[in-house]
Amino acid sequence: MSRAMLEADALVAGYEPGTPIVQGASLAIGAGEILAVLGPNGAGKSTFVKAIAGLVPLGAGRVVVGDVDVTAWPAHQRIEAGLAYVPQIENVFATLSVEDNLALATRGSRAARRAALERALGRFPDLGLARTREAGRLSGGQRQMLAIARALVVEPAVLLLDEPSAGLSPRVVGELFGQLRAIAAGGVGIVLVEQNVRAALALADRALVLVAGRNRLEGPAADVAADPLLAALYVGGVAA
Amino acid sequence: MTLQWILDGVIAAATLALGATGVTLTYSNLRFANFAHGEFISWGAYLALTLAALAGSVFGTAEVAGPFSFGGRLLLAAGLAAALTGVIALVLDMLVFRRLRARGAAVTAVMASFGVSMSLRALLEVLYTSRPRYYSEELEIAMPLGAGLRATPDQLAVLGLALVTGIGVALLLSRTSLGRQMRAVAENPVLAEIVGIDVAQVIRLTWLLGAGLAAVSGVALGVLVQVRPSMGAELLLPLFAAAIVGGIGSVPGAFVGALVVGVAEAATVRYAGAEWRAAVSFVLLVAVLLVRPTGLFGRQP
Repeated sequence: MSRAMLEADALVAGYEPGTPIVQGASLAIGAGEILAVLGPNGAGKSTFVKAIAGLVPLGAGRVVVGDVDVTAWPAHQRIEAGLAYVPQIENVFATLSVEDNLALATRGSRAARRAALERALGRFPDLGLARTREAGRLSGGQRQMLAIARALVVEPAVLLLDEPSAGLSPRVVGELFGQLRAIAAGGVGIVLVEQNVRAALALADRALVLVAGRNRLEGPAADVAADPLLAALYVGGVAA
Repeated sequence: MTLQWILDGVIAAATLALGATGVTLTYSNLRFANFAHGEFISWGAYLALTLAALAGSVFGTAEVAGPFSFGGRLLLAAGLAAALTGVIALVLDMLVFRRLRARGAAVTAVMASFGVSMSLRALLEVLYTSRPRYYSEELEIAMPLGAGLRATPDQLAVLGLALVTGIGVALLLSRTSLGRQMRAVAENPVLAEIVGIDVAQVIRLTWLLGAGLAAVSGVALGVLVQVRPSMGAELLLPLFAAAIVGGIGSVPGAFVGALVVGVAEAATVRYAGAEWRAAVSFVLLVAVLLVRPTGLFGRQP
């Protein structure tokens, strides 16, 4: 791994003070790398990435993007540091058009905004054809593409994705993961929280397995896939 | 003469529309019904009264322009009053509403807004007494407009002001970056934060805009009728009726809703008697909530 683009160090986080869901989890990711964050239901995967994005209060730990410590930054400023987050649900503004959804993320001069918008639409041809449509009228796959396109508008160093494949057909998941591979090839680090373990391990370079809010297993995706612990965690129907 | 009541309703709707636009914006962005909104109308009217009088004592006698009962001095005073009313709203948010919103206590915020409303009105009565006041002692004669209709120049000016303001706010929401951010915050404040919008800042600007519009409608009402401490509170039900009939969050909706309420009130006064006027907003409000809770232009996200 090259120099870390994002480091989350020993995070303790939760919604209620005194009952943390994330209990010391850590991750680091380099440019162009895809890291799958796995674990059974309730392991704290989503809360972990939300805490990195600044949406869940931190009890302890540190979040560093590049050389910048953003631990104390509010969520809306972390984007400026290069950290973009895509939530699992309600990740687009349903009453706004595709264009307006993307425009919300643009910055700078009118010309720069226009160019960023066109770049985002160019990356996802499906969206380019539906630019004036209300996001609420898009298909599930298109919504996910729009949410990711919007996150990419700011040209982030790291993309945090919370279960992007949830509710999508296998064909659409294949398309989506193909896009993620292309995005990573462009140098963006991707942190991918997934329930879809097999697909995630096939895509990722490395994987991290969380259990009860702590790192339990991590390493190259192929090694994690072969580890008997992973099978043990997912057998018994705890997670699909 | 038979259609005069419709014109009267439309003119009443103009003042209502300015206030209802503020209601619809703050309601959709702050996520609670602020019952102190009416007091912003009264405070705006009184602040303009004091500022215009101050300007009058500096520059000499009362100023009147053209056929109107007011002049540039009141317009300037109205602008300043709108800004000051916006500041009052910001201070109230900082002291009361922001804390309650942070706890997610929308119902508590509504109740608190009742208390704020009563305090603000009582303060006006202490400062200005409850005696009605007027911006000008000028008498205005209604001019014939053709087809047997008559209106005073002041009434036509308020109509024009409401239209220009309404179009301005609608363009702000649909065409500008701030407007897009306001719509985003109204739909989903958490996602807005994620996208990089400074939600607290957008909420502050919403307060400024909403309270400023209320102040302008207070001045318009003061020009057409009179200035009293209870003027805003009495308008509260029609305002909410207009905003909800039109659909919360929609500026064109607030205008159409105001038109429905204004003309319905005028029709009721004409055909059923003035004592029924107060019931109109209530009936419209209940009817819309039963039949189409999202209003005429409201959207189910």
